[in-house]
Amino acid sequence: MVRIDTELLSNRRVAEGYFELRFRWPAAGRPAPGQFLTVRAREGSDPLLRRPFAFASHDGTRDEATIVIQERGSATRALATLEAEAKLDLLGPLGHGFAFPERGTEPVLVAGGIGVGPMLFLRAALEAAGTKSRFVLGARTAALVPEALLPRGAGVEVRTDDGSLGAKGTAADAVTALLPEARAALYACGPAPLMAALDRIATERGWPYQAAVEEWMACGVGACMGCAVPLKSGGFLRACADGPVLDGRLVKWD
Amino acid sequence: MGLNDATRAPGGAERDPFAPDLSVRIGPLVLPNPVGVASGTFGYGEEYAALLDTDALGAIYTKAVTVEPRAGNPAPRLAETPAGLLNSIGLANPGLETFVRDKLPALRARRCRTIVNVAGATVDDYVRVVEGIEASGGVDGYELNVSCPNVKSGGMAFGTDPRLVALVTESVRRATKRALVVKLSPNVTDIAETAHAAEDAGADAVSAINTLVGMAIDVKARRPRLAMKTGGLSGPAVKPVGVAAVYRVSRAVKIPVIGLGGIMTAGDALEYLLAGADAVQVGTATFVEPDAALRVLEGIEAWMRENRVARVADIKNLLEE
Repeated sequence: MVRIDTELLSNRRVAEGYFELRFRWPAAGRPAPGQFLTVRAREGSDPLLRRPFAFASHDGTRDEATIVIQERGSATRALATLEAEAKLDLLGPLGHGFAFPERGTEPVLVAGGIGVGPMLFLRAALEAAGTKSRFVLGARTAALVPEALLPRGAGVEVRTDDGSLGAKGTAADAVTALLPEARAALYACGPAPLMAALDRIATERGWPYQAAVEEWMACGVGACMGCAVPLKSGGFLRACADGPVLDGRLVKWD
Repeated sequence: MGLNDATRAPGGAERDPFAPDLSVRIGPLVLPNPVGVASGTFGYGEEYAALLDTDALGAIYTKAVTVEPRAGNPAPRLAETPAGLLNSIGLANPGLETFVRDKLPALRARRCRTIVNVAGATVDDYVRVVEGIEASGGVDGYELNVSCPNVKSGGMAFGTDPRLVALVTESVRRATKRALVVKLSPNVTDIAETAHAAEDAGADAVSAINTLVGMAIDVKARRPRLAMKTGGLSGPAVKPVGVAAVYRVSRAVKIPVIGLGGIMTAGDALEYLLAGADAVQVGTATFVEPDAALRVLEGIEAWMRENRVARVADIKNLLEE
């Protein structure tokens, strides 16, 4: 874990309201897919807290990394308007990332909306390790699909709610369409309804399901107990320190 | 860089021989400096250890400890508001037994002073936590959380009634000779009354303020943003409330006052010290900048040098009014 003032290298719009921020990232803080950082969007007290974002890529040879953000409020709006050479106050890598799939299983990576960032990173890491994966991205509409970021190659599928890009339907529909006999290992990050749908599929078919959760956070390091993720068994786990990657079959999604 | 810089000895400017005394006395305890980290924002000291030198802190006020483990309140527990943070954690903590076994040894191994924040639903709960920790060798002190706005029983129900503040304080006082701080709630008509009650019952200090009850609503969803509907407000938004509370309390009691609420900078801390505080706690600011407390400390020391103030306790006498 490092806290650094680093330099923004580029900021590009990759879909409607989606931006990819590329920045210098030191070798001392090598992130794993699923891990995140927190950023102070700007000086001053509004926005007050640092904001968490999953790493979307890491290039250890060039000491660069990226995050993908969606404009939602004042913090993401401030980040979206930053230009190259801006200073970024970053803290990371934080939390626990994805575990690689067991031998003999086929990783199926499912991204919903802005959940695309960590799944892109996982896809690249699997590929670098010589492991093939399926990649499914679900979005409301074509304008919200960051096409420039989508992995190339076989096994990449887009679903949109309105059918404006790829087949009409949800990312979960694409997973349902997989053969039940397949030995899939699900990996996902996205909105709760998608995560719940994948939980039902994983539970029914006995597939492992690693889910990257999203919660409001204050500290990001496990101290404040603010980012509680409710479990089906009762009790909570901390999204920041116990996750953000959790066993998706244990999480109470609704 | 000027010409002179090249001729200076390594280390820069000449050393200023004036060295202010930063220590603060709380009952039997001497804190090395006035800047602690507030309960609930720093866990049990482990989580932030990689990000700042915890030994340099004046004190760690731990996350609250209750007799039984508490899972805490439903999610969402956090909502950011303008210059503020609403939280409804619900005293989530592993309970006395696990705290003593798993957390206390590491806390003790730190050189930093440790003040354990204690919470409960009954007077007996507070006493049992303090007795349990005393039986295992104790810590530097205790801070009684009689002001948590996020639990149904205990917490703020104690802190808003001077008689209950007195009862819980004197009961714990009998269980320990160590530094005993009572954390006051701002959610009262007159905070001087509860401060008096704590002082008369044997507290060594009071800390003020705990969070203010607040609520935020998501208009689009027509729903409260916190699962528990209301929570405790902290951050820069509450600082003027905290400063006023410390000003009032410090004139009502003779024991030291520890000021907190929205301290982000040394300037904020100095407002509290000028208002009458003997020490301060940095809370929400740590979330924003993990080393905020140490920057606050540096700034206080620099200010004392600049203004030739010898002791922290002298600062409160410098308020012009």
